[in-house]
Amino acid sequence: MSAQTNPLRSAGKPIDWGQIGSYTVLIVLAVIYLGPLLMLVNTALKTTPSFMRDATGLAVEFSLQNFAEAWNKANFPKYLFNSILYTVSATTLYVVMAVFVAFPIARGYVKYAGFFLTLFVIALFLPPALIPQFQLMLNLGLYNNPVGYILLFVVNPIGIVILVNYIKTIPTELDEAAALDGCGYFRFVMSIVLPLIQPALATVIVLHAIGIWNEIIAPTIYLTSKDYYPITRGLIVFQGVYGSNWPLLAAAVLMLTFPMLVLFLFLQRYIVAGLTAGSVKG
Amino acid sequence: MNYHFGRGWARWTPFLLLLPGLAAYFVIALGPSLATAVYSFTDASGLKGAPVRWVGFDNYQEFLFMGRASVDNLNALGRTLVFCFFVTVIQFGLGLFVAVIINQNLKGRNIFRTLYFMPVILGAVIQGLIWSLFLYPLGGPLARVLELFGTRSEFLGGQPVEAFAWVIVVQIWANMGTTMIIFLSGLQTISTDYYEAARIDGASPWQVFTNITWPLLTPSVNTNLTLNIIGSLQAWQLFLVLLGYRNGTQVLGYLIYATGFGQTSGSVTSSFRQGYAAAASIVLFLLVLVIGTVVQNVLRRREARILG
Repeated sequence: MSAQTNPLRSAGKPIDWGQIGSYTVLIVLAVIYLGPLLMLVNTALKTTPSFMRDATGLAVEFSLQNFAEAWNKANFPKYLFNSILYTVSATTLYVVMAVFVAFPIARGYVKYAGFFLTLFVIALFLPPALIPQFQLMLNLGLYNNPVGYILLFVVNPIGIVILVNYIKTIPTELDEAAALDGCGYFRFVMSIVLPLIQPALATVIVLHAIGIWNEIIAPTIYLTSKDYYPITRGLIVFQGVYGSNWPLLAAAVLMLTFPMLVLFLFLQRYIVAGLTAGSVKG
Repeated sequence: MNYHFGRGWARWTPFLLLLPGLAAYFVIALGPSLATAVYSFTDASGLKGAPVRWVGFDNYQEFLFMGRASVDNLNALGRTLVFCFFVTVIQFGLGLFVAVIINQNLKGRNIFRTLYFMPVILGAVIQGLIWSLFLYPLGGPLARVLELFGTRSEFLGGQPVEAFAWVIVVQIWANMGTTMIIFLSGLQTISTDYYEAARIDGASPWQVFTNITWPLLTPSVNTNLTLNIIGSLQAWQLFLVLLGYRNGTQVLGYLIYATGFGQTSGSVTSSFRQGYAAAASIVLFLLVLVIGTVVQNVLRRREARILG
């Protein structure tokens, strides 16, 4: 990178071509990342005739009617309720079980702790469980059943690995001291370990919950009745019916995208922590 | 390790409390995963109570060597590799490039980083629908851009090859941020002393990159390559949302789903061939296993050469 001086600049500061190039790349990419979202917002604010006439023209009419219409027609309240129910209950069940799996493994309080951990890591490389899992659910009568659907998501090996790694950083003297004071194992894990591992716990919860919330294959396979659809499946159905009415569909999509993006700003660091924690062992 | 929370029967408490999680894992994940191999030798259907017979290697033979269907299967397999190749190469290269740029001391870098990483939270359905709109062929934004060049396109509704290429684009758009973030965390572990020394020696940016950044980034390079390759071999959600089960665009993951659970979503079709689909799953698994092992070996050797 040449550092020529520009005589026209008062302080004789060199033009930093590297920096200009960097910004150019970042801005071009920003357009590619923002463009689809802006199109979504703009379309959601247009009326259908105006969209048909000129799809990219600015939404001068600023119609909010699409949102009301989509909300009612898409059966959103029902689907949203289902999504929240599945995400919250499966994540809660999973996290409680995961802590009681990860803690004794990290501490070596159970025999063959290393072997157990390996069992969980192995899952990341095995064949997809899709077919036998379906057969299992079908034969247990849990097909097209919210309980069965929730059970599918009470497992997540990566979360166990993240928790084990984090618990290992907590000094064992703590266990000793608590036991001396007469604290039992269960109470120790619930009231002392849980608060201490909050950062890792938050990461695991966020990753797991996002996964369930966005899941589309499982609801397509396991849930046939509309009453049980989560919002992802609901959107696909809505697209099937109103797919040609883009302003309406865009409004529906936007209503789900916007809260996720706001949430993202708060949760970003936990997602990043999960990614990098997962890659440390790599 | 010394256990402090009691003796005798109380010594069993940790194990008893571990059991539910372990059992759930065995029943829901590990067991079914291993059972895929067993199912691949049967003619299991998706119907409750239907008889299941052993068929030996018939499913594999049919999948790989029987008539038109196996040609389609092998085409899907080839497409899976093509998808993996383009997604991995572009996502890896772009992610690295952007990470190096963002790692400089630029104003607004956090905003750009957040923006590129953002699609991660949206999931395949929203990602897919947003892009379906962006690729609206009748005067949508990209159609307008093409108009400027005097050309037009049907995008997702066009030729299979073209539609397929757009899925690659959306896949990269959705996941490049993850690659970038992993590279960024790798870049932050590189001591600034090296860069300082290089600056004093008057090294060019390219020299700095090839002699300092690239070799010291080896752990993140390994992580990203592994994640990208395995991830893209198995990914098919965006195909489901963007294209549906369309001839000339299927990848192996989608084909497994379609043969196991019927091709159309919404109305149930008759083709619930789950033994056959299990065999296809094993084929995909072997593909991931072979490619994964080879890549791991190459990466280990490279790491030993550079860092060892």
